[in-house]
Amino acid sequence: MDNLLEVRDIHTFISQFHILEGVSVRVPRGKIVTLLGRNGAGKTTTLKSILGLTPPSQGQVIFDGQDILGQRSFNIAALGIGYVPEHRAIFRDLSVGENLKIAERKKGDLDRKADIIFDLFPDLKRLLHLGGDHLSGGQQQMLAIARALVPDNKLLLIDEPTEGLAPVLIEQMMEAIRQLSSETTVLLVEQNFIVATHLAEDYVIIEEGQSVKEGKIADLINDQETIHRYLEAA
Amino acid sequence: MNKISQWFRKNRTLIITLLVLTIVYLLALRGLEPKDQVLTTLRGFSMGAIIFIVAAGFSLIFGLMDVLNLAHGTLFMIGAYIGWTIIVRPDTAVDAITPIALLIAGFALLPLMDVLIERLNIPEKAARIWPWVGLILVIAILGYLLPKYPVTTWDVGSYESSPINYAFAAGQGTLVAPEPELFQGVSPVVGLGGILLGSFIAGATLAGFAHYRRYSRKEAKVIIDQGLPHTAIWISIITALIGIIFYFFNDPLSDFLLDLNNAWLFLIAILVSFVSIAGIGALMEVLLVRPLYATPIYNLLMTLGVSAIGIEFVRTIWGNPAFTMPRPSLFAGTGEGCPAESLADILANKCSTISILGGRIRTYNDVFVIIVGLFILITVWILLQRTRLGMIIRAGVQDSEMVEALSINVRRVFTLVFALGVGLAAMGGVIAAPSMGLSTNMGQVLLINALIALAIGGLTSYPGAAVGALIVGMLQQFIVKYGQIGIPLPFMEEAFKPTPPLVPASTVLLMVIILLIMPQGLFGRKE
Repeated sequence: MDNLLEVRDIHTFISQFHILEGVSVRVPRGKIVTLLGRNGAGKTTTLKSILGLTPPSQGQVIFDGQDILGQRSFNIAALGIGYVPEHRAIFRDLSVGENLKIAERKKGDLDRKADIIFDLFPDLKRLLHLGGDHLSGGQQQMLAIARALVPDNKLLLIDEPTEGLAPVLIEQMMEAIRQLSSETTVLLVEQNFIVATHLAEDYVIIEEGQSVKEGKIADLINDQETIHRYLEAA
Repeated sequence: MNKISQWFRKNRTLIITLLVLTIVYLLALRGLEPKDQVLTTLRGFSMGAIIFIVAAGFSLIFGLMDVLNLAHGTLFMIGAYIGWTIIVRPDTAVDAITPIALLIAGFALLPLMDVLIERLNIPEKAARIWPWVGLILVIAILGYLLPKYPVTTWDVGSYESSPINYAFAAGQGTLVAPEPELFQGVSPVVGLGGILLGSFIAGATLAGFAHYRRYSRKEAKVIIDQGLPHTAIWISIITALIGIIFYFFNDPLSDFLLDLNNAWLFLIAILVSFVSIAGIGALMEVLLVRPLYATPIYNLLMTLGVSAIGIEFVRTIWGNPAFTMPRPSLFAGTGEGCPAESLADILANKCSTISILGGRIRTYNDVFVIIVGLFILITVWILLQRTRLGMIIRAGVQDSEMVEALSINVRRVFTLVFALGVGLAAMGGVIAAPSMGLSTNMGQVLLINALIALAIGGLTSYPGAAVGALIVGMLQQFIVKYGQIGIPLPFMEEAFKPTPPLVPASTVLLMVIILLIMPQGLFGRKE
């Protein structure tokens, strides 16, 4: 077993809606795995279910050899999972520096990681005192990823990192994710097929709340039938 | 340069509105004599300070948890009554410590009971019955023993031992406490032990009721894995010990407090009131608010219910609701050298009034309250801006889910903020009591003012709470003043005199006007 994260057949309800109806995902240590699928298929809910933000009602979520399903979100995150949500969720009333500082799990986390973070996103260094509400979309995305890098995380859940970004910035973001994946494992949700295929090694396709197919990205690229069936706009 | 003009353009409405309000204020000032100008402005500030203390906690709670805590005003009022008890009848307050501590000792064991119940693995049928048996036992034991517990109180019925009389005596420094009562009909050991036992059973019963409703197997498993809750056990042991120790040192402590300068008593009253209401707030958040986060409308109704219960609680315990509270002796001097002419006079003679421009302002109501309000404004501001807790609160106001995902225990922060918020209100109650007097509806009146202030300032904005409270306080005091002298209007023979009902009406009117111009309030953020 060298899966850092193993999700087995989870079911999640949001109020009375059965959103996930059996999703299984395996994320091998040190790799980038991407969740593919159409809008509303349940990719974001899968990430949230792993973190317990939308707690699954059945199934298993095994992280680093430990069953984490049913634990509270902050406990799950404390085991070493960083979350970069859709729409970034930058705290507007906090400065860039505070947005990073709040992610500390132990005192001094930020000081320890400052070099790595500012190497990856040099822009953030000069923005440190700016308010979170004054950032451009690209800067927000950088900050959201940087925030997940502050504590020692074994796994990053990254949701739509290139959504709404200009092509130049998409390049930059891809480069950043590639670099940080040398240190940590990544589970990525990405609408942009080209970005996803360039970054990830493995994929899992989610369709209407179920994981329907998984495999190597290298095989998927040539598998026109699968692409047509699950990924092209219906 | 460009940035400044941009800022102006962005906040144009706000600037114009504030400008208009300032002009109205200046116009209102022009109609008054110089001494009234100072006096009315100070009263406005003072009223604003008290409204702010209530509004600040309310807006923190609403911002972070989306709970409109309608019990906020009631907790403000209960805080005032607790403060009154400490200042006017410290012996009663000391008497009450022991039974309260013993009760807390039992309830503090709730988490332990939870674990024990799960480990005992009681068969389902028994599990359904035993909490009810426990409940009956609790009612029997506590119902028998608590009324027998000797707490020396006041008697609303007779003038000699009425709250008013005690308050007057306490203000004069001539308070003589009545003889302490003793356990009647039961020995102290049985009494204390019985209350302790009753509270333990009560804790277990409550845990039992909650347990079988709440936990799916999965969650229960997590609880077992966590082992025994040591903190709960320690809290229980310590509070039980406190209760018993205070029982034996009751008399010396009462005497000590009775002899204490009443300025110190006032400080103790503020602290005790803050701590006890914060504790009640924490309990309320955990037991009542938390299960209802998913259904905000139920939470609203629940807080309204708690508010009603709180008022009846005060009526039951304190009796006749309208009390007066003596001012701390620091601000009660009336002898030689008073009213004070200078700062040195105030410090030397502790004058209750200061004379300015031929008028008299009251040191406590019109000066001290403002200083306390400013102090709280700055303290909470520093807490919000400079501490990690403040950072978490500001972040949580926007997105508490993301805060949780950063491995921060948001639920605990919620409990803490709820406790702090209502504790602040209780503190406000004690501070307001000497100038406003105590009554069971003081809380509601203030809560409504605070709500109007928040609507004007912007519901979740901290500066908004301050500015809104100031505007409401100021407006009310000016209307009151003009009610006496009348507003000269064109085309009218007699000056228009606002009647008392127009005081609250005017603030509502102002709120309506401001919300029409700025639907988010002055400093509110567009969502």
